[in-house]
Amino acid sequence: QALPSRSGPSSILVSPRQKGNPILNGVRTVAWEYSDIPADYVLGATTCALFLSLKYHRLHPEYIYNRIRDLRGQYSLRILLTMVDIENHEDSLRELSKTSLINNVTLMLCWSAQEAGRYLELFKTFEHAAPTSIRAQQSTSYSDKLVEFITVPRSINKTDAIGLVSNFGSIRTALNAGPEEVGLIAGWGEKKVQRWCNAAREPFRIKK
Amino acid sequence: MPSDEKAPVKLSLPLEFQQDIFKELREEDELVLIARGLGVLRIVSNLLHSYDAAGNNLILLVGAEERENVWIGEALAEHAAISMAPKARGLSLVNTDLMSVGTREKIYAQGGIFSITSRILIVDFLSGLMNPETVTGVVVLHAEKVIATSLEAFILRIYRQKNKAGFLKAFSDQPEPFTTGFAPLANMMKNLFLQKPALYPRFHVTVAKSLEGRKKAEVIELEVPMTEAMRDIQNAVLECVEVSISELRKGNTGVEMDDWTLDSALHRNFDTIIRRQLDPVWHRTSFKTRQVVRDLTLLRTILHALLTYDAVNFNKYLDTVLAASQPPPGSTKHNQSPWLFLDAADTIFTTAKRRVYTGKVSNDDLVSNPNTVPDSLEPVLEEFPKWTQLAEILQEIEQDAYLNPVPNDTSNGSVLIMCGDQGTCRQLREFLQTMYVRPEGTVEDGTDEDEEQGPSASFMMRRKLRNYLAWKRDFSKVSAALFSENQKAINGSTDQRVQSGKANRPPPNKRRRMRGGGSAGSGPSRTEMGTVRVAGDRDAHIASLMAELQPTEVEAMQKIEIGVDPLENMDDYYELFDMNDLIVIHPYEGDMDEHVLEETKPRYVIMYEPDAAFIRRIEVYRSSHTDRTVKVFFMYYGGSVEEQRYLSAVRREKDAFTKLIRERGNMAITLTSAALGPQESFLRTINTRIAGGGRLAATAQPPRVVVDVREFRSSLPSLLHGRSIVVVPCMLTVGDYVLTPTICIERKSVRDLIGSFANGRLYNQVESMMEHYKAPMLLIEFDQNKTFTLEPFSDLFAPTTTIGLAVAPDLQSKIVMLTLAFPRLKIIWSSSPYQTAEIFSELKKQQDEPDPLKAVQLGLDPAVAGDELRSFNQVPQDMLRAIPGMNENILTTLTLEVENIQELANMEERELVGLVGTDAARRIYRFFNRSVYDGAEVALPTL
Repeated sequence: QALPSRSGPSSILVSPRQKGNPILNGVRTVAWEYSDIPADYVLGATTCALFLSLKYHRLHPEYIYNRIRDLRGQYSLRILLTMVDIENHEDSLRELSKTSLINNVTLMLCWSAQEAGRYLELFKTFEHAAPTSIRAQQSTSYSDKLVEFITVPRSINKTDAIGLVSNFGSIRTALNAGPEEVGLIAGWGEKKVQRWCNAAREPFRIKK
Repeated sequence: MPSDEKAPVKLSLPLEFQQDIFKELREEDELVLIARGLGVLRIVSNLLHSYDAAGNNLILLVGAEERENVWIGEALAEHAAISMAPKARGLSLVNTDLMSVGTREKIYAQGGIFSITSRILIVDFLSGLMNPETVTGVVVLHAEKVIATSLEAFILRIYRQKNKAGFLKAFSDQPEPFTTGFAPLANMMKNLFLQKPALYPRFHVTVAKSLEGRKKAEVIELEVPMTEAMRDIQNAVLECVEVSISELRKGNTGVEMDDWTLDSALHRNFDTIIRRQLDPVWHRTSFKTRQVVRDLTLLRTILHALLTYDAVNFNKYLDTVLAASQPPPGSTKHNQSPWLFLDAADTIFTTAKRRVYTGKVSNDDLVSNPNTVPDSLEPVLEEFPKWTQLAEILQEIEQDAYLNPVPNDTSNGSVLIMCGDQGTCRQLREFLQTMYVRPEGTVEDGTDEDEEQGPSASFMMRRKLRNYLAWKRDFSKVSAALFSENQKAINGSTDQRVQSGKANRPPPNKRRRMRGGGSAGSGPSRTEMGTVRVAGDRDAHIASLMAELQPTEVEAMQKIEIGVDPLENMDDYYELFDMNDLIVIHPYEGDMDEHVLEETKPRYVIMYEPDAAFIRRIEVYRSSHTDRTVKVFFMYYGGSVEEQRYLSAVRREKDAFTKLIRERGNMAITLTSAALGPQESFLRTINTRIAGGGRLAATAQPPRVVVDVREFRSSLPSLLHGRSIVVVPCMLTVGDYVLTPTICIERKSVRDLIGSFANGRLYNQVESMMEHYKAPMLLIEFDQNKTFTLEPFSDLFAPTTTIGLAVAPDLQSKIVMLTLAFPRLKIIWSSSPYQTAEIFSELKKQQDEPDPLKAVQLGLDPAVAGDELRSFNQVPQDMLRAIPGMNENILTTLTLEVENIQELANMEERELVGLVGTDAARRIYRFFNRSVYDGAEVALPTL
């Protein structure tokens, strides 16, 4: 997928404050360079990130607020990349959730330096990508669709799906089949039969 | 009988322990834990009747399953008729499909006994449709399911908070769940708001006395040996299980798995046990692990099928398994299930086939000369040893009945055959109907037959084989049509196939099973060069077998399709012998079996498969009717998984009860959990941050959260309520929780998150939240017991390229895309629902309360009148989403215009065009109507 030409620099800008942070070792597929910026990382024209280790946060709770203040409302997407490196994270995370709402930062959690580095890469990589892959179902082959459709009711698996269509020939006939007929297929126990037949006949809308 | 009742109540509890339990329950509230098969429903229905007869009650039955509702409903009606109680009203059912809010309110006011789906009951409690103070009492079935975060526990909490006087009784016949964890019984008692547990194992003194004191039932145990082939297959499956388990061990080094052994594999649910163990880390496991876990489920089904499906059906099932295990398109053979590469797997497939027919043609023969029709194929059709045994028993019974023609008791002289499921029932019915029918003129029958005609299944098996071959013909087309794309994909990756590929793969219709090549890939580590089994068989095989199996005259005369019994709806029985002698074949159905025994009054019972609960039921039946004799034949395959399972089930139940008795002995009694007094709740609303207590804050409303009714499946509403936040159930279109006028939250468990990213629903949900709320938030909620991380175990940190990511993005990349698409969206990460509840109250501090009315109206399509119309059934919705060409608009149109999936499938393309437009209509129509037998129509329009 070719990315459109971008307006900003093509590399991640890193604040000199982050020198020596092990997460930089995790950034491998995207170039990065030091630059004098108020945030820790600049990941795009409107995206920046602050890095916070919960261990540090517990010792210096005021630190992150100062950093957020220093951003002075710049950037529309402000990531607070938080490394969960302590066991009792509940209180800190609760507080940060509240903060994210008040100070307009988006909380992203990571559990290792590698993962953190990967998040930085991802933000940079997808800077201009269209969100197609999360927007709608990806089109796949007929057999996949068919299996996906039949396996929606619980406990029906792929083997059952193939047994079903191979006995009835098409999905339509399989949907029209009565419970006795479906029950004759190997592997289809009563529960599955019931679930399948219910799914076919259950109204879309709940009746008044 | 308690004295406070004027109405005469007639009970049907003949045994001493049943009466004991009943008396205890009338006197005080308790949890009754009783061994399986001792008739818990009978006690419940008698108890309910005693209240019902008194009239003027509002009694709730919580946690009953559909079947139990029917049972109790009938029992109550019967009781009411027998004791002629004028006030008895019987049981009323409440589930969404039938009743609107208005009707519900009306019938609640009338009183009576209600069995209400938990999700509806909790909403009615919270919305004030039913006042807990008016409830006379609550009866909980399946008490083992009432864990702290369950809906039932939530219901009981609300009930007990508002209503201290009403009674509360809980029942369970599954002791095992009460024994896991720390002080499990005490915890459960706390959830149930009960103090006293009553345990009734089978070895309880009164129970034992009731069941063993009088004449015992005569039991004849028959150990039937498995055939050689069956044993081979069972061993091979177990070997596959072992390999799969060791594969799991290798792939998940971080997980505790000492008890993942073959021994535990013999358990009834080894796949669920392993799944449960992996569950905490499920979202971190690799594709391979998930696949192996799926395989384990499959292997367990195969193991079960081996003992229940006849040889032909078993082979047929294996064919489907094989076809379904074809690798997905675009992937290499790496992705094939590891067990398929084992020698053992080969044993399974070849032995299963040899049980049906043999061919003497060797593999080389086929390769060199694929067009000859081998005449040497002949049907084998192995029969189950149990069938012969069954026929013998019936003969014996017949003789017995002949010698003692007049039954000197009130039983019917009928024979009851109990087996595992409907499928087995059908099989046995057919066997018994046709066991004396001979297919004459066939070669092997002519020679093998003794002069005395023994019962045999050969007629049935030959019919099945014919059906099978006909099916097989279609099936090879099906798999060709469905999986040709996959095959092409695999063939494309030639570099993988140097060894076994033999570059000139035959065209799809001539594909054959590549047997004998198994030695090339004997271990899972060598997957690249293992042979790929190809579903489908050579047409030549089939042709010769078909010729062989041409129906003989006798067979042709039996024209009726026996598989679908014409008497199917007439309670599954048919007449075999003259007079009143019936053979009834019935599947085990839990408590329903009691009715079967009562209705058929059998003199002989044949247990085709072992079932511990049913043995107890016979004991109860036998002791309840002193004037009836029962002779029981008990069959099982020696050395089989079936036997092992039966024994371990019995053992586990006994162990569970022993543990429970010990825990009850030293259980700390919790006295009434102090509910909040009025003063305390006043203090809660005072905000201590405002100096001096603040008049302002004290008069403020209690904190309130608007919750979507569909969210009541999760435990979060219950926990919010536990933090004394008022939970307002509403039908929300936008979001799941509304905390303040500006904050709206969409909750996703990790599993939901993956799913709703995949079908694009999350994108739409967030989009509509962005439109209506100032502060939309996505809550990613991990499970209490799951690890709090998204990191996969191993395969993430392989160097990824930009292109690779765009093609197959993982969960993390999808979250990144979402935040980039919606910069205003905030994410809450919560390690458990408990934590979520705390975060919610933190977010609500110092904020206004939400307006439920406004929350409901947001996002409603103005064209759609009334909010009731917006309530959809989830399963058909998800099925619609899987149809090609579907988007949210079409989805809404279809749900409003079409009744159900079936109707949609039967619509003509023309009708669809009118609804959804030409392109989508064509794709939807083709999706439903495309014939999988027809390989020509493979090409599908691409997006």
